[in-house]
Amino acid sequence: MGDFFSNLSLGFGVALTLQNLGLAFLGCLVGTLIGVLPGVGPIATIAMLLPITFGLDPTGALIMLAGIYYGAQYGGSTTAILVNIPGEATSVVTALDGHQMARQGRAGVALGIAAIGSFFAGTVATLVIAALGAPLTRLALIFGPTEYFSLMVMGLVFAVVLARGSILKAIAMILVGVLLSTVGTDLETGEERMTFGLPFLADGIDFAVLAMGIFGIAEIMRNLDHTETRDVVQQAIGRLLPNLDDFKQAYKPVLRGTFIGAILGILPGNGAVLGPFASYTLEKKIAKDPRRFGRGAIEGVAGPESANNAGAQTSFIPLLTLGIPPNAVMALMVGAMTIHGIIPGPQVMTKNPTLFWGMIASMWVGNLMLLVINLPLVGMWVRLLKVPYRLLFPAILMFCCIGIYSINSLPTDVMFIGFFGLVGYMLIKFGFEPAPMLLGFVLGRLMEENLRRALIISRGSLETFIERPVSAGLLAVAAILLVIALLPSIRKGRDEVFTE
Amino acid sequence: MSTLHEGSGPARPGGPVRAPQNIAGGLVLLALAALALWLTQDLDQGTLNAMGPAMLPRWLAIAVGLSGLALLAFAFIKHGDALERWNLRGPVFVIGGILAFALTIRPFSFGTLTTPGLGMLFAGPLAIIIGGYATPEARLRDLVILSLSLTPFCMVLFGDLLNLPIPVFPQALTGLFPSDWSQKAVLRATAAILAVAAVIVFLATRSRHRGPIDVADHSGRI
Repeated sequence: MGDFFSNLSLGFGVALTLQNLGLAFLGCLVGTLIGVLPGVGPIATIAMLLPITFGLDPTGALIMLAGIYYGAQYGGSTTAILVNIPGEATSVVTALDGHQMARQGRAGVALGIAAIGSFFAGTVATLVIAALGAPLTRLALIFGPTEYFSLMVMGLVFAVVLARGSILKAIAMILVGVLLSTVGTDLETGEERMTFGLPFLADGIDFAVLAMGIFGIAEIMRNLDHTETRDVVQQAIGRLLPNLDDFKQAYKPVLRGTFIGAILGILPGNGAVLGPFASYTLEKKIAKDPRRFGRGAIEGVAGPESANNAGAQTSFIPLLTLGIPPNAVMALMVGAMTIHGIIPGPQVMTKNPTLFWGMIASMWVGNLMLLVINLPLVGMWVRLLKVPYRLLFPAILMFCCIGIYSINSLPTDVMFIGFFGLVGYMLIKFGFEPAPMLLGFVLGRLMEENLRRALIISRGSLETFIERPVSAGLLAVAAILLVIALLPSIRKGRDEVFTE
Repeated sequence: MSTLHEGSGPARPGGPVRAPQNIAGGLVLLALAALALWLTQDLDQGTLNAMGPAMLPRWLAIAVGLSGLALLAFAFIKHGDALERWNLRGPVFVIGGILAFALTIRPFSFGTLTTPGLGMLFAGPLAIIIGGYATPEARLRDLVILSLSLTPFCMVLFGDLLNLPIPVFPQALTGLFPSDWSQKAVLRATAAILAVAAVIVFLATRSRHRGPIDVADHSGRI
């Protein structure tokens, strides 16, 4: 317990320096600014804003990136409530009741309760991370390459099960992602693999290039296809602070949502995406009058938003303790950390405690910032929402070009975001979900490395993966999950969850 | 523009193919697998004890190919989505804009041909204006104003505030500025000129257009 407090105070000592406070603030602000734009999800936002953190020291850069992430999340909720365009899967649920509230002139209350619920959830999640960080890191230190490989397999299976649409296609996407990660020089033998003899592919495909192409450029092309009407709320935003009645209705859903979201977020393989759905379903089940849901029930905003934020935050746990990104956003964080020369994993906490605890403390600071900046700035976000897409997308396009060019000063990188944009567009057209591919890409190198080591230790015997108990357990969980997901009855339920 | 296959949601295509989208997806996966297998054919696979460079890519390629085959097979058994309409205008102009940026930001040579490095001064507006035509609703005037105002903003943000090494000005024209000016001074001057140009274009063309620019079109599209 003493550790817990001394660690947290070390963290706050780092997070509360003037520079880092400023970076957290700036991150939240620009994150919201970009995230609020319709059709730009958190992944695209982070990919686009990644370059602006390059000039900073690693701690500052990660604090700012975390701020950008929360900002983008909150921006997505704002868009969902005001325009009914959810930027990503997790804010789909918020749009259901949030937009109805907005149409009833209660947009302010919806945004307010979303911010307050998120702040509460963020506070709890920060404490959860601080409490679980150290023990999980110790656990990670006893993991060998065999266990790591199995753990990553389990994470990928989770990602498959939780991806939208066909399971077969999700598996294919993961495999393609891992396959893409093997492009470039083989670390062990130094031989070039699948590079077409092109020098800029010798180091492999750049992660930022892939992410920006698949999530930034492909999104633009996809949005241009759809002529959706943008349903910006015309009503007044109304007062922002919920009144006593609102609080009475909302506080229990916030508590439950936080609990559900925090637990699901810890799971490897994008468990966080389930949080809002689970919370919404639960609130609807236990409500006295379930018919109010879908017609502007405040519980339908408070619960899922809290679950969303709690999950968004606890999904840092697998990354920070085990070095395994559970979803595409965390994969981007890995990319950012590697650029700053930090290899995510258990050693970060021991070797770099100021960075580790500083980042955790700044998560809480970031949540507070969101509360402080977003509520007064709602008017500005509304104006931003009214910028027509025909002006928005060229700006995003140029921003992507400059951003990716500034990373390596390579014109080929810029061309490749165009190429991967086209690839991503085709994937979307053929009904493939690109997020699992990105996850497979990020885990691919780690997996190959650990597979190699595990097999060297076991002298080439694949049985090592089922002989070692921890590894066998992880693989068993993965297998059971996959089988369950393929059972026809569960599959129907899964489809319903994602189409609701 | 071009329509590969007309199809809208629930309409079930006739013939043995029940899920055209999955046929296309399966073929793409097969092609990818074949490409990967061809590219790794000369590499050593090694043994499990000492994995060679080709081990993982080759087995992954086979797995990808198998998924492709499975998708193809299911396309004849289970009903699925039809192929969506393809709109070529979006991708063509978006990629055109990106290519224009990549080729003009700094000298780029393929073979004997070298493009002039024009810097952000030209690359930025080119990307915005060419890319902007990806939508049929594009208006040249708006795009010009947008590019003239966003480019200096990005110059100051990336070049000045964030200190990222981005060429701002065409190398051939650096003689236009006094030789004792620093890089930053040239950058700021260029940004200022662009911003002024944006205001001039905005004011000069305002009279011909009714209504304010940049206004929300409430019927908006995304």
